[in-house]
Amino acid sequence: MVSKPKNNKTILVIEDERPLVRIIEAKLEKAGFDVITARTVDQGLSYLEDVGNIDVIWLDHYLPGEKTGLNFVAKLKSPGNKWAKIPIFIVSNTASDSNVRSYLRLGVSKYCVKAEHRLDEIASDIKSFLDGSKE
Amino acid sequence: MKFHKKIISASDNIALKLAILAKEKESARRKLVVTAKQLAVTAKEKESIRRKLAVTAKQLAVTAEEKESTRRKLVVTAQELKKSYGTLEKKVLRRTKDLEQIKSKNEAILTSIGDGLVVVDKEGKISYINKSFEEMLGWKTQEIVGKSMVEVVPREDLNGIEVSFKERILTQVLAGQKFVADLTNPFYYIRKDKSRFPASSIVAPVVLNKKIVGAVEVFRDITKEKEIDKAKTEFVSLASHQLRTPLSTVNWYSEMLLTGDVGEVTSEQKKYLEEIYNGNQRMVDLVNTLLDVSRIEMGTFMVEPKPTDIVKLARSVIDEQKLQIDEKKIKLSPSFEDNIPLVRADPKLLRMVIQNLLSNAVKYTPEIGKVGISISLDNEKNVILKLSDTGYGIPKNQQDKIFTKLFRADNVIGKDTEGTGLGLYIAKSIVEQAGGKLWFESIENKGTTFYATLPLGEVKKKRGAKAFSSR
Repeated sequence: MVSKPKNNKTILVIEDERPLVRIIEAKLEKAGFDVITARTVDQGLSYLEDVGNIDVIWLDHYLPGEKTGLNFVAKLKSPGNKWAKIPIFIVSNTASDSNVRSYLRLGVSKYCVKAEHRLDEIASDIKSFLDGSKE
Repeated sequence: MKFHKKIISASDNIALKLAILAKEKESARRKLVVTAKQLAVTAKEKESIRRKLAVTAKQLAVTAEEKESTRRKLVVTAQELKKSYGTLEKKVLRRTKDLEQIKSKNEAILTSIGDGLVVVDKEGKISYINKSFEEMLGWKTQEIVGKSMVEVVPREDLNGIEVSFKERILTQVLAGQKFVADLTNPFYYIRKDKSRFPASSIVAPVVLNKKIVGAVEVFRDITKEKEIDKAKTEFVSLASHQLRTPLSTVNWYSEMLLTGDVGEVTSEQKKYLEEIYNGNQRMVDLVNTLLDVSRIEMGTFMVEPKPTDIVKLARSVIDEQKLQIDEKKIKLSPSFEDNIPLVRADPKLLRMVIQNLLSNAVKYTPEIGKVGISISLDNEKNVILKLSDTGYGIPKNQQDKIFTKLFRADNVIGKDTEGTGLGLYIAKSIVEQAGGKLWFESIENKGTTFYATLPLGEVKKKRGAKAFSSR
């Protein structure tokens, strides 16, 4: 097996359902990402700060605590924020369409409904998005 | 001598006298004979008269008898008449009492009906309202009778826009327009104090001798139903959303196993995993369908119309279902006119309509059957989508229910387990929302043809909170 190249992309997955986190992590690692997982908005924000070099974010809408994914995105995409350019993929089952609109308006890269997509699709979507933005 | 003479003369005298007497006697006898004769005649006459009298007497007796009998009969008749009159009077009294009772009972029933009730004459002027009307709308009978229902009690649609006089169902019914009660189309009634409540109503004409002489409207306060319905819909929405999380788990784990990401699986294991994956996928579809239904019912689905190539859409749906079509060896004949302009419609929703109609045609047609799909233009510049099959058809007695939510016809329940009874309900809602029509013709065991018309004009953009879930 060829060892992973050092220039792996780092993805921050903010998702609270443990079984889902496990499988997402497994899949994304298979797809060649370095995966960092967080369960809440605040945890996600602190990892951004602590880990640094996050290339892309996978974000669920409903998360434990007061804050939803929307609060996270609003914070990141606020003018002048140093992480404003990090692409965000919303992967959720429960966000209402008005929330979806808000997400897209705030500038997230994509919204998808978990139950309707294969992990494969989402992973390759993220990959090709990153490849596209690199070119 | 002298003496002698005297004697002679005396005897002469006597003789004379005797002669005279004899004469007189004779005359008397004669007279008597005459008299006797006369008497005999008189007697005869008398007898005749007596006989006549006897006859008359008899006749009189008969007449008297008849008279008596008639008199008696008359007495009897009079008695009977009196009796009948008495009975009749009693009957009338009883009937009147009954009628009064029925009337007051009816009035009591009308008055106590829990639904609001108003009766109007042919001008639309109120002639009767019941207690529930008074309670629900805040008007008293004496304040409102004789006034125009439409003017005194305004209606607003669910967006708070007043329904015009012409649009009021009452006006339309009085004008002779056939009106099918639309209980799924609630509105607001405005009370005397200007507050409002959601209601649904049925208006029916009062027809006398084939003429509309008025109308009756029955309406209901549906606040409770609306709340329940909203709660139900929200529950379905919430439950469906929540269901997606475990579904995603099953989905993704079986996917990873199937793709060999966590080690190779044997071909036998793969088959099992595929069953799990496919079963789960069906559940995902069902949940999505339920969500679409709840969105339709909450009125929160968003329509985003844009110029759409319906032929291209149809071709892609056919491609998508090619596997199922080929599996059943169904001969599909598409026929699309060349000059179909772009339709202004929401492509996602239009796609759902085509998907539903085509998959139904395939699903409910036995193997080696035929399915036709065509798109054409009609004279009124509508696009017509036609889907015909040679399938099981829809039983005649269930044709009126086929667009009802969750309804599935008897003849297919046993044949196919995958239907939810939601597809046509959704398809019809979408087509009608776009200003079109969806209908069908069907003969059991011969086949069914569905027709959808879509106007080429503008589709109103609906501001809803949610779009139909994308698939």
